[in-house]
Amino acid sequence: MARRGSTVRNMKCTAFFLMLCLCLLLEGCEDRFMTGLIPEELGGWKADGQDGIYDRKTLYDYIDGAAEVYLAYDFQQVLARRFVKFDQPAITADIFHMRSSEDAYGIFSFEREAGDVGIGQDSEYAAGFLRFWKGKFFVSVLADRETPASREAVMGIGRAIADKIKPDGARPKILTFLPPKDLIPTSIRYFHQKSGLDYHYFVADKNVLGLDEKTDAVLAQYKMGKSKARLLIVGYPNANSAATAFDTFMKAYMPEARDTGVTQTENGEWAAAQVRGSFVMAVFDAPSREKADGLIQAAIAKLEVEDE
Amino acid sequence: MTKDEHIITRRDFMRGAAAAALAAAVGFPTEAVAAAGEKSRVVLIRDPAVLDGKGKIDPSVLGHMLDEAAAKLLGKNRAAAAWKSLVKPTDMVGIKSNVWARLPTPPELEEIIRQRVVAAGVPASKVFCDDRGSLDKFRASTALINVRPARTHHWSGMGGCIKNYIIFSPKPSQHHPDSCASLATVWDLPVVKGKTRLSILVLLTPQFYGRGAHSFDPRYLWDYKGLAVSLDPVAVDAVGAHILRTKRVRHFGEDKPITPTTHIAVADRKYHLGVSDLSRIELIKLGWTKDALI
Repeated sequence: MARRGSTVRNMKCTAFFLMLCLCLLLEGCEDRFMTGLIPEELGGWKADGQDGIYDRKTLYDYIDGAAEVYLAYDFQQVLARRFVKFDQPAITADIFHMRSSEDAYGIFSFEREAGDVGIGQDSEYAAGFLRFWKGKFFVSVLADRETPASREAVMGIGRAIADKIKPDGARPKILTFLPPKDLIPTSIRYFHQKSGLDYHYFVADKNVLGLDEKTDAVLAQYKMGKSKARLLIVGYPNANSAATAFDTFMKAYMPEARDTGVTQTENGEWAAAQVRGSFVMAVFDAPSREKADGLIQAAIAKLEVEDE
Repeated sequence: MTKDEHIITRRDFMRGAAAAALAAAVGFPTEAVAAAGEKSRVVLIRDPAVLDGKGKIDPSVLGHMLDEAAAKLLGKNRAAAAWKSLVKPTDMVGIKSNVWARLPTPPELEEIIRQRVVAAGVPASKVFCDDRGSLDKFRASTALINVRPARTHHWSGMGGCIKNYIIFSPKPSQHHPDSCASLATVWDLPVVKGKTRLSILVLLTPQFYGRGAHSFDPRYLWDYKGLAVSLDPVAVDAVGAHILRTKRVRHFGEDKPITPTTHIAVADRKYHLGVSDLSRIELIKLGWTKDALI
């Protein structure tokens, strides 16, 4: 019996050792894969020092202040490479590997401001700062200062990275429920958790919409004359969760509209909300009851078409 | 959520009700009616000559600014007397700066503070300046001068004097939830508790909005050319947050979304570290007043 127990222990140790080796091997492969996505040199800018590689546990060591944003989007690993060139500003390229293409899109959408510059699946550039996403990767290339040469290098590094990332990734399906009429494309924000909503549009101090890592949410602005209304759509794991969240939201935010689903808020604008299946939709800051209701109905119509 | 839990919503802001409670909850600036009690004093000093056309600091102008602000803050006629009232020759003085590469505490200012502390009688060997270096040195210190630039911060809304001590926490990330609401608890740790003699918020080129993984975008720095000094880290941060927000509104035409500066109001109302209501802050403005934004 004693010998058999010892053999079992040995087998367990061997299995653990093999698993450990496999994990280390896979991790090493991932590091090498990430490293291979970034050029060593471009336009006279050369990689400076060792690359930084950070995972979910060590991201705080690299990013001061924004790590939670990436963790909320199910970030896996980032590879950071700094480029230098004599008499020119340094350039930092960061490649963030997310668990899904939807989350790569999400982190891109989080602070999108400008139109596309044709790199990756969506991109923007301003003042020495290029952001884009492609596949499961979100990429940031930042020059310490913009010069004509650094701008060219930033774009070149971005293009080189985008070319190596294959294949393209799927966008979040919930985006298809956004009615296209009057939609401001650069205003679309995709997120999961309350912190994402708080950042873009504070609704309440408590989590009245029951947002968490299992929910998909999209917030977008719509041009309505001089006003900008916001449409929020939240997808829940099931209809029960959606109904519970809708109930909590209505009680907290627009209790007087429990029956009608539409109300005028204290700023003179209109809010509306509906629940359909596993989705809750809310409109904020519409200029009239008709506009608020119209946007909600348009979203419901899209949802019924797209979700079939 | 419990059934009886009070929920504060955006509509409460629209109603303009319960401003103080709302400010505590989400950190929006408020001009709420002052509560009884002493005001905290903040001295804001600005000088257009402190930076040249290329953004280079003139140390002599900066030194003069700091001296004048310290004297005014402490009600002394001479800066030397002010510094002597802040530190004793027997002190071990740590200057807690900030090394964030894109907007660090200016080395010129670190050196000026070091000189003033030495001139006040503290042996040079007992004055050090550090950020993320040896925790043991900070543990051994008996007095701290807290100095860092003001900037928007992705998770706390603003990186200011309160947040500058987060590095003393055994686990900084534990303070990140709810917009870093619990940051003031760091000030209760033995390494810093009761040691801070002066808080200096550097407003030479503050950052009023940030983007990207590094929360940095050079477009959103501006030459404010100021320093804000106080004995109250909460008050000096409240002044800084107001200036950053006002600049944001002025620049964008609206208040762009940033994480609310909850931790400043919470540091006041929950942890009683200082005063966050502007109406309870005695703000003394010295020097250049153009576009002071407060």
